[in-house]
Amino acid sequence: MLGEPKILVVDDELVVIKSAERVLKSEGYQVEGALGGREAIMKLGQDNFDLVFTDLKMPEVDGITLIRWIKKTKPSVGIVIITGYPSQDTIKEALELGIIDYVPKPFTPSVLLDVTERAVEWIKGKAPEEKKVQEEFPPAMEAELERVIREFRQKPGSLIPVLQRAQEIVGYLPPIVQKKISQGLNIPVAEVHSVVSFYSFFTMKPRGDHNIRVCLGTACYVKGIEGVVSKIRDTLKIDVGETTENRKFSLEGVRCLGACGLAPVMVIDQETFGAMTPKKALEIIGRYDAAYVSSASAEQAGELAEKEG
Amino acid sequence: MPRLTIADLQKIKDQHKAEFTLREGGYRAKVTVHMGTCGIAAGARGVMTALMDEISKANVTDVIVTTSGCAGLCAKEPLATVEIMNQPPVKYCDLNDEKIREIFKEHIMGGKPVEKYALVVGSETTY
Amino acid sequence: MEKFRANVMLCAGTGCVASGTGKVREALQAELVKRGLQDEIKIVLTGCNGYCAEGPVLSVFPDEIFYQKVTVEEVPKLVEEHFLKGRPYEKLMFREPEKKTAIPLMKDIPFFKHQVLRVLRNKGLIDPEKIEEYIVRDGYQAMAKALTQMTQQDIIKVVKDSGLRGRGGAGFPTGLKWEFASKVQSDIKYMLCNGDEGDPGAFMDRSVMEADPHSVIEGMIIGAKAIGAHHGFIYVRAEYPLAVKRLQLAINQATEMGLLGKNILDTGFDFHLEIYLGAGAFVCGEETALMRSLEGKRGMPRPRPPFPAHKGLWDKPSVLNNVETLAQIAPIILHGSEWYRSLGTEKSSGTKVFALTGAVNNVGLVEVPMGIPLRTIIYDIGGGIRKGRKYKAVQLGGPSGGCIPEHLLDTPVTYEDIVATGAIVGSGGMVVMDDNTCMVGTARFFLEFTADESCGKCTPCRVGTKILLDMLTDITEGKGKEEDIETLQDLGRDIIASSLCGLGQTAPNPVLTTIRYFKEEYESHIRDKWCKAGVCRKLTTFWIDEKMCKGCGACLRACPSKAIIGEKKKPHKIIQEVCVHCRTCYEACKFKSIDILPAGADENTAAAFAAGKGTKEKGDA
Repeated sequence: MLGEPKILVVDDELVVIKSAERVLKSEGYQVEGALGGREAIMKLGQDNFDLVFTDLKMPEVDGITLIRWIKKTKPSVGIVIITGYPSQDTIKEALELGIIDYVPKPFTPSVLLDVTERAVEWIKGKAPEEKKVQEEFPPAMEAELERVIREFRQKPGSLIPVLQRAQEIVGYLPPIVQKKISQGLNIPVAEVHSVVSFYSFFTMKPRGDHNIRVCLGTACYVKGIEGVVSKIRDTLKIDVGETTENRKFSLEGVRCLGACGLAPVMVIDQETFGAMTPKKALEIIGRYDAAYVSSASAEQAGELAEKEG
Repeated sequence: MPRLTIADLQKIKDQHKAEFTLREGGYRAKVTVHMGTCGIAAGARGVMTALMDEISKANVTDVIVTTSGCAGLCAKEPLATVEIMNQPPVKYCDLNDEKIREIFKEHIMGGKPVEKYALVVGSETTY
Repeated sequence: MEKFRANVMLCAGTGCVASGTGKVREALQAELVKRGLQDEIKIVLTGCNGYCAEGPVLSVFPDEIFYQKVTVEEVPKLVEEHFLKGRPYEKLMFREPEKKTAIPLMKDIPFFKHQVLRVLRNKGLIDPEKIEEYIVRDGYQAMAKALTQMTQQDIIKVVKDSGLRGRGGAGFPTGLKWEFASKVQSDIKYMLCNGDEGDPGAFMDRSVMEADPHSVIEGMIIGAKAIGAHHGFIYVRAEYPLAVKRLQLAINQATEMGLLGKNILDTGFDFHLEIYLGAGAFVCGEETALMRSLEGKRGMPRPRPPFPAHKGLWDKPSVLNNVETLAQIAPIILHGSEWYRSLGTEKSSGTKVFALTGAVNNVGLVEVPMGIPLRTIIYDIGGGIRKGRKYKAVQLGGPSGGCIPEHLLDTPVTYEDIVATGAIVGSGGMVVMDDNTCMVGTARFFLEFTADESCGKCTPCRVGTKILLDMLTDITEGKGKEEDIETLQDLGRDIIASSLCGLGQTAPNPVLTTIRYFKEEYESHIRDKWCKAGVCRKLTTFWIDEKMCKGCGACLRACPSKAIIGEKKKPHKIIQEVCVHCRTCYEACKFKSIDILPAGADENTAAAFAAGKGTKEKGDA
């Protein structure tokens, strides 16, 4: 980044753009406005911006679509959302897309400056190690996590539900998250860690974009899940409990998914696949990542040859 | 949704009875509309619609309607068979909207077969 | 009111959803609209029908026709034939594996015919997301009766007299459990439901929660009245998202209608119910461990007494019942204890749901009167062993259970009779194994599970299961020693004697029962380095019997390691140095010409084996 960060403010109301401009310009930021997602995409195509502040609810091209477009074509641009309706679902969706933070509407100048400062720091990055930790835990996630902790603070025995929600938000439970929960619920870190390590549902390692879960139940064992597991292991070059280097897939073994009628069973994210064979498993993984299609189709070709022969 | 009392539980049961007669059995009368290609061509769909309309207007819960294939008497389509439990089934022929409505009132609800439309009495039962 | 002439009950349980219920539903709806039938035919999504392997399944009422493996491609034809022309569509009907004739009616299909539905009374008949449909099927009538016409003692007496025993595994009389808790004085008591179905190979509870969530809630309210509790939790595995969703919906609906919460049905009785998601720990199926977990701690069991009836959740008197047990309660209250006892045996009354899986033809949920022989379940309902293979064992009770061999197949399924075989009824997982299963490997599979799931509190369990596992691993890798069998048995008995909770007390069962009934398999692994099922890779040699081989080339093409050579129509050969013992060729061969020989076999071993095979076959004839 050269000089002062350049910010694009996207909203369908001119007054929002104007007031943001006024506040930010006074602190020396370079600011431009765009009335809606379509104009934003045009401006982003012409000029280099460091940060985009965007509304979610806009006619024609809405905020989520804009975020998707930015993530695909300009991944280095940081995104902050401005929204009047911070419903949990939209925040969650935006978080999954990788936003840095959000500003609730209406905002005061100091809130806007605060968020901007944090976001700028974030995109600049600091020491590489620290950046990595931050990368997995942007401020918006932190705010969401704090909200969950507040919701459960008064309730006895809420550690497990909070950990479940935290894992949903962050994707896994690194030490920094455990520490936060420990402080929030006023439970010793050691106890939080002891619970995290006790239950198989919790993980302290980041998962891949797609989580492959293979069922290790009895019915699946009897019907040959082991062959499926070893095929996946060989193909993805990871062991059970690990994540591929490119963070695309992680492989997990679970105790009986209760879908024994379909054994052997494999689940990717939320989708269940029954009557697995090593070949079918590869084929399905190929649907999630084309990189593995070649190996699957090679197998298929082999099978075809077999049929013809 | 309002809070319920014990009496309301029974009311809900009564309201949904017709649908569960379908699933649980225990119906009093069964009407089979013959829907072969010939029956459909002769207007069996209209007969079916009229019948369903009568049933829902009368709000009865113990009459069910099914379809079957061609009854083998294509010239006399549309055909329908009315079976009242423990009575010989009656086959009606050359039906139309008005006729089936009449049959519904007289035979299914009133218990008296409408002889002028009947083709035959006492064919095979299906229950 | 709208009136339909037929209802299509489409299964939306976990199994069928995975097989494509969603797409079938869309296609069905679109086709009905296209044919103008949308106001005559109604699609109802039901909970798990139990016949998961053939999904998506649907049944059509009032005709009672059952269709299976319904695909999007077949939907137009199905609608045209069945709903327009009134001709049931034979192509999608059930067919018996051996015979070719289609069976149209659900009640005639062997899998359903032999079942008696009490717990699963609403299976496939109601939409679990609509409380009205549950109410039509006598739902909440038993609760109304219990809240208005019965005292705590009345309820306890009926449940005690019914002989109902805990369906989660231990088989403790439910009425007695309630009586203990009702007698304790306390300002707060808890009524809890165990939906943490942890046994691998069991899915009864998932099905009940998905298909009929209100039956569990109603059972809990009746139990709460009996013991005097006003708060409750359902502890459900996080691995069951659909069950959680349906339960939550059911709780919301019941609360809205005044069937849960404050002043239920204006009777003055309060009961507040919440769902608590488990986080994956097998030991949490144990009641004291589950209560610890509900408190947000590591789910470790503690010594009893004090029993939970005195000191349970948050040290308050608590009752924990299993999902299936609770689903049995409402009919017992409505129809009485005599009705319940009319099925089953003296000590094991009523019905039990089993999850029948593994190497049988018909896989799925099965509810049968207790006391019927295992053989009836496996052969009449399950349709016998897949692909005409030979029965070897049935595993009952998951990691706490054991394997039951062929000569005990006539054992009646009661708590006592099954314990006498060394297994337990457990929660109802029933995994059938054929002669392709290695029993040492099976024992090892379960020990791997328990060693991993041991909470670590008791040394005999934590260390003992690990030693058992290591020894079993050695045996399957050809490093077994003659004295191992005895050591396994001694150590197993020690673990049982000295562990605190059910996990440790039962963990050695899979080892002990397999040694009891399949000792020769252990011996052949140890002495002959030979896994006759061809499962343990280091203890098998796959060898093509040249006399039997037709040279069809199936094995050659199937072999992933390219270890098979041979010309068409001439006997093939396995290059032993290249073979990785994956048994793909064995499965591929249609002429049974591949033999499973001991590790390191050569021409001489093969010749001797082939000769022996010949005499045996003659002997059989």
